[in-house]
Amino acid sequence: MQTGKISRFSKTVLSLGFFFLYAPILILVIFSFNKSELVTVWAGFSFKWYGELFRDPQMLGAAWISLKIAFLAASAAVVLGTMASIVMVRMGNFTGKTAFTSMITAPLVMPEVITGLSLLLLFVAMGQSLGWPGQRGMLTIWIAHVTFCTAFVTVVVTSRLQEMDESIEEAAQDLGAPPWKVFFLVTLPIIAPALMSGWLLAFTLSLDDLVIASFVSGPGSTTLPMAVFSSVRMGISPQINALATLVVLVATIAVFIAWWVAQRSLRVTTKVGD
Amino acid sequence: MSDAASSPMLEIRQVTKRFGQLSAVKDVSLTINKGEIFALLGGSGCGKTTLLRMMSGFETPSEGAILIDGEDVSKVPPFQRPVNMMFQSYALFPHMTVEQNVAFGLKQDKLPKAQIADQVAAMLKLVHMTDFAKRKPNQLSGGQRQRVALARSLAKKPKVLLLDEPMGALDKKLRSQMQLELVDIIESVGVTCVMVTHDQEEAMTMANRVSVMHLGEIMQVGSPSEIYEFPNSRHTAEFIGSVNIFDATVQGVGSDASQLSCTDLNCVLSVEGGVNAVEGAQVGVAVRPEKIYMSRTQPEQGDNWLHGKVEDIAYLGGHSVYHVKLASGKTVMATTTNVDRHEQRLTWEDQVYLYWSASSSVVLYQ
Amino acid sequence: MSKLGARSVIGVPYVWLLLFFLVPFIIVFKISFSEMQYAIPPYTDLVGWADEVLTINLNLGNYYYLWDDSLYAKAYLSSVRIAFFATIGALIIGYPMAYAIARADASSRNALLMMVMLPSWTSFLIRIYAWVGILKNNGLINNALMSVGIIDQPIAMLNTEFAVYIGIVYAYLPFMILPIYTNLVKLDNSLLEASADLGCPPWKTFLTVTLPLSKAGIIAGSMLVFIPSVGEFVIPEMLGGAETLMIGKVLWQEFFNNRDWPVASAVAIVMLLLLLVPITFFHRYQSRELEA
Repeated sequence: MQTGKISRFSKTVLSLGFFFLYAPILILVIFSFNKSELVTVWAGFSFKWYGELFRDPQMLGAAWISLKIAFLAASAAVVLGTMASIVMVRMGNFTGKTAFTSMITAPLVMPEVITGLSLLLLFVAMGQSLGWPGQRGMLTIWIAHVTFCTAFVTVVVTSRLQEMDESIEEAAQDLGAPPWKVFFLVTLPIIAPALMSGWLLAFTLSLDDLVIASFVSGPGSTTLPMAVFSSVRMGISPQINALATLVVLVATIAVFIAWWVAQRSLRVTTKVGD
Repeated sequence: MSDAASSPMLEIRQVTKRFGQLSAVKDVSLTINKGEIFALLGGSGCGKTTLLRMMSGFETPSEGAILIDGEDVSKVPPFQRPVNMMFQSYALFPHMTVEQNVAFGLKQDKLPKAQIADQVAAMLKLVHMTDFAKRKPNQLSGGQRQRVALARSLAKKPKVLLLDEPMGALDKKLRSQMQLELVDIIESVGVTCVMVTHDQEEAMTMANRVSVMHLGEIMQVGSPSEIYEFPNSRHTAEFIGSVNIFDATVQGVGSDASQLSCTDLNCVLSVEGGVNAVEGAQVGVAVRPEKIYMSRTQPEQGDNWLHGKVEDIAYLGGHSVYHVKLASGKTVMATTTNVDRHEQRLTWEDQVYLYWSASSSVVLYQ
Repeated sequence: MSKLGARSVIGVPYVWLLLFFLVPFIIVFKISFSEMQYAIPPYTDLVGWADEVLTINLNLGNYYYLWDDSLYAKAYLSSVRIAFFATIGALIIGYPMAYAIARADASSRNALLMMVMLPSWTSFLIRIYAWVGILKNNGLINNALMSVGIIDQPIAMLNTEFAVYIGIVYAYLPFMILPIYTNLVKLDNSLLEASADLGCPPWKTFLTVTLPLSKAGIIAGSMLVFIPSVGEFVIPEMLGGAETLMIGKVLWQEFFNNRDWPVASAVAIVMLLLLLVPITFFHRYQSRELEA
């Protein structure tokens, strides 16, 4: 009786919650196939907005820039974030550790306008006094994205590293592997799934960022969110629906792959009862 | 093994380890001989694990030196020491097969492939795990994992094998079986072995010599029977097995026997041999429960007996432990073997006499 | 680990964060005391050196300006208010969902959790944009209500505070659910059974056992929603219209429209001070998680 009650409650809550989360996305997807110019009135099925999207050089260019930045930022954030996690979990106490933890966790909640403004002012000040970076563009966006993505990667990798039995690393050292080799032969393969989900998270965050990029970008480095934002500011456009549908599709596939990999590695690293 | 026992393999010289204010290991010196199985025995926090980790190189001594085969390794990092450890959790690499786990250490030495393969095969054969070579650790049972961990730590033919709580991850029934099996394997290889355990039975079953540690210090080193029969301190006597300790005052010291007085006894307390204390000194006298006899009638001997009431009986199958309450309020334990099924045994509230021979007791000075 | 190796593992991320996270704040702080000028860069220097005279110009005018013009005070207040109620809203929707997922059988938990996270993996901007089409006057809701005949005039929903609430709750809901779930799933079921065994009815068990034990998750989730919401720009910009005043939007306008970098910096500094308490709160929770 008890379980029946709980599960009915759960079912109701979850169906309502997921309806709230998914209905707007579903509507976007449906209307991306709408023939009409009007986003909210159905006028028949059509692929025409997809065609227009792929003929829009500005959108395509922005998408390409965003993908490049996201790829490079995610990769750098994984390296920095993994180093930061090792510092947090394995290095014990050192002077300045509190400052370190603060700088790692603060970007998780820092309002984007503040991060964006402060980084821009840094780049301007550096440009004034050091002459570098001379011009803002992909490089400055990349630096900004690496900085805030590192925080997220650190959280993901840290939690995996904490779960890992430290004596496994000690065993490798005991058997004759120097620390750097222990890391590459033992630690890295074991935390690889976390690195992958951290990379995906950072990639998405970078791809998604409008506010910070708007502050630190320069001429000729319009990212996809910036292009989308200026397009929707001028009014609703069905082309954005088509883009949204593609984004949802790609994200879903990526998440499923990541999930599948994680499940598989979970089976390998967790104990199976005797 | 007596022929090899003379040459030392591992020497701990006045080693101290401090963590901040706390001294985990205090001025410990030990010599462990070639081919010996040596146990560090103690409760949690006694410093035994820290000492082991200094032998393996995961901690460096604050003071003192550690020598392996005559060479000072105090500052040598773990990956360059001729020492291998079997971890309590076994610490098998989850992403490698059994074979790859055993081969890991050999690969670090950059041995030729064929030699690695031969050595891995030999090790797996030694621990009877040849059939499981291609399995991953999570497909093995607890006992099998232990064998793989042992094979992995033996594969490099270390000068010293370290075992950290070797039975810690196994259930009770498997333990006693694996204890003997482990000893057989270690002795067949002939490697010098240091183990850490909190389980006195495990230490006594497996080790040739045991050292009892307490609060960072070594209390006593000796063979299992020496430690059990001749403890040198209250702590060791109480830590190993059960014991009755009487607080006594030295009265007369002789070369064959000495007399002491104790308020718990109805007569004089005598011990074999001399006592290393002046008359009037306070000492403890330890008597193991199995060395105490019980009877309903007053014993004929004039010393070493007392009178009390049976307060509790723990029936343990093979033997029973009687808790006898004395008039002084002290409780004394005595063990009887249950030889006869129908014997008329003593029961609760019975008045009994307990007695023992002067050669059964040990004087404790600290 | 060798000393050099250990130092570089600590050093590289440390220096990066110092340079690109901490130093920028110092610069923002500095510029908030300068004056706007039409030049490159568009602010004056604090320290001057001319004719062997060192001048330090600390211009408090920007802060005075924020204090003097009630627009800023109103914007800060309404940001905090909107973020606060949106956080409550997200908690009310998120807690039951987290609870339901944590109580589901182990095999379906991961799938449900993935479903919660999936929307966050698609574009934030696009998800907010989706609500424009739903809420606007000739949008889906109004069209549906009018075609059924419940209303004959469209209800104004877009460009209201209400739309901003919906936007924040919608966008940040996963960040509320996740920490609460992580907390609830660790809750030992036997605690609930013990409570029931001792005669406590389920609703009371929830109030006296489950809820207090999930406090850490609630705090973390609320901070993850509240703090970024206070400085949110995209949501009030796209859903809130001209009337909704939020400080993130004000900062954006000072910077991009008025090109007044010093005032924008002062706005940022005040916002940061405002968020210092919740950020330290969150930081304490998070560092416990990270260092545990």
